[in-house]
Amino acid sequence: MLELKNIWVKYGKKAAVRKLSLSVNKGDFVTILGANGAGKTTMLNAISGIVKVKKNEGEIYFKGEKINGWKPGKIASLGIIQIPEGRKLFPLLTVKENLLIGAYLRKDRKGIQQSMDEALTLFPVLKDKLNAKSRELSGGQQQMLAIARGLMAKPEMLLLDEPSLGLSPLIRQQLAETIKEIHREGVTLVLVEQNARLGLMLASYGYVLENGEMSLQGKTSDLLKNDDVKKAYLGV
Amino acid sequence: MPPAEILIEGLTQSCIYMTMAFGMVLVFSILGILNWTHGQLFMLGAFIVFYSTTAAGIPFPIGILLAGLVMAGIGILIKKFIIDRIKGELYIGVATLALIFALEGAASLLFTSDDRGLAIILPGVLNLGVVAISYQKMAVIIFTLIVMTAMYFVLNHTKVGLAIRAVAQQPVAASLYGISTERLSLIVMGIGCALAAMAGAIMAPLYPINPFIGRTPMIMALLAIVIGGLGSLTGAIVGGLILGFLHSVIAYYISYLSEVVLFGLIILILLVRPQGLFGASAK
Ligand SMILES: Nc1ncnc2c1ncn2[C@@H]1O[C@H](COP(=O)(O)OP(=O)(O)OP(=O)(O)O)[C@@H](O)[C@H]1O
Ligand SMILES: [Mg+2]
Repeated sequence: MLELKNIWVKYGKKAAVRKLSLSVNKGDFVTILGANGAGKTTMLNAISGIVKVKKNEGEIYFKGEKINGWKPGKIASLGIIQIPEGRKLFPLLTVKENLLIGAYLRKDRKGIQQSMDEALTLFPVLKDKLNAKSRELSGGQQQMLAIARGLMAKPEMLLLDEPSLGLSPLIRQQLAETIKEIHREGVTLVLVEQNARLGLMLASYGYVLENGEMSLQGKTSDLLKNDDVKKAYLGV
Repeated sequence: MPPAEILIEGLTQSCIYMTMAFGMVLVFSILGILNWTHGQLFMLGAFIVFYSTTAAGIPFPIGILLAGLVMAGIGILIKKFIIDRIKGELYIGVATLALIFALEGAASLLFTSDDRGLAIILPGVLNLGVVAISYQKMAVIIFTLIVMTAMYFVLNHTKVGLAIRAVAQQPVAASLYGISTERLSLIVMGIGCALAAMAGAIMAPLYPINPFIGRTPMIMALLAIVIGGLGSLTGAIVGGLILGFLHSVIAYYISYLSEVVLFGLIILILLVRPQGLFGASAK
């Protein structure tokens, strides 16, 4: 479904992502691990079109179409939706307005309403806050809103960038359950996590990113047993 | 208390500063730049309404709309052919500053720099007992109310308004969900420039028209933005309101150096509230 072939991303002279390849099939749940600055966000932004991958610096395919160089909106309309790092909510818009922006590209009024109902069923706390500004929400609620906003786009593939960051263990557990639920509903997931244990527990396939390069990949059950992974990312 | 006429005059000025400031802030919130040539769009708006009513016999209200439409187009061209071709806020700023002289020069060549006057379109005075308002000034006030209400409606109750607010707050996330910043930039540039031109047009019957009349409203609009807090639309409106009154009331008490006193007061306001009345404090 999604295929990255030897992509490079440079900020100025410095390469943040080097010769990166990745492949995600429909229905997969993939996690990307990596330390601070490894290039995880850069990779997601390359997929979403926020940073451009030049024609001669690799290829990105989605459902057989080559999408590098496309505008973010056009990529989103294909069904790849990113839930960005740090949530990036619209602070002065209400919860409801934030959700509506998620559905910005859709024209089917009924479908939008249905997605809104589904999102509110998944995150009941948001129901009472529909008219509150998003900056008034707690950290956990904000993360839920960020995910709900992404779901409003009716994604086929969701790219989640460190959704657990800054959340208490209890909320993180709830979030994990929700992410599993979204996957069960049939959404293909790419989950970037610094909390490696969480990513490896949830996903079925994992990639390890080091200094912009893919250093290791495999089934998460194998990665959990891998000595290098244990030492570097699981702290054992 | 200064006489009521002065307050009415102040309110009329407020209306213009508000409309100008509002448009500039709207553009700023999406493009991240101040369009320094906003005042010259005001001036051109006045000329368009002058010629369309005197030479072409077009009715005044249609002339105002025409001014708005033409200058919206010019604004979009400025965005596409000047702002988009230059990298860096500073250089874009310099380019729009240069446009002040380009547009004033062009207007001087075309229309000469002589004062012209448009005859009062709405003669007569509304007598309210304590105060009399000329219909022409009432037109300015009503026009501003309509414009502000329309802008409020567009921003808060339409899809494009939601998109504008979203991009202003969080451009990256907005683009992730398919909002085109590029398209919105053109729209807000069109709206902002149209507002400036229509402000110039509605004022045309009240003051002499020449190629340099855009300077004062532009400076006042900028001051209004600074007092209100850069980036805040509410701030632009309140700042414009305050400035219009201050400007005419101070001028009433001291005709010499009234601008010096005005700027002094503004500096005082900013000393107390550096971020402006509605600006987020820079923590
Ligand atoms: N806009 C930018 N301009 C210049 N350099 C950048 C930019 N964004 C990221 N970088 C650099 O690129 C490298 C990869 O950053 P990236 O944000 O992709 O890492 P990450 O794996 O997501 O890290 P984190 O876990 O901290 O989110 C880092 O060295 C970072 O400093
Ligand atoms: Mg990151």
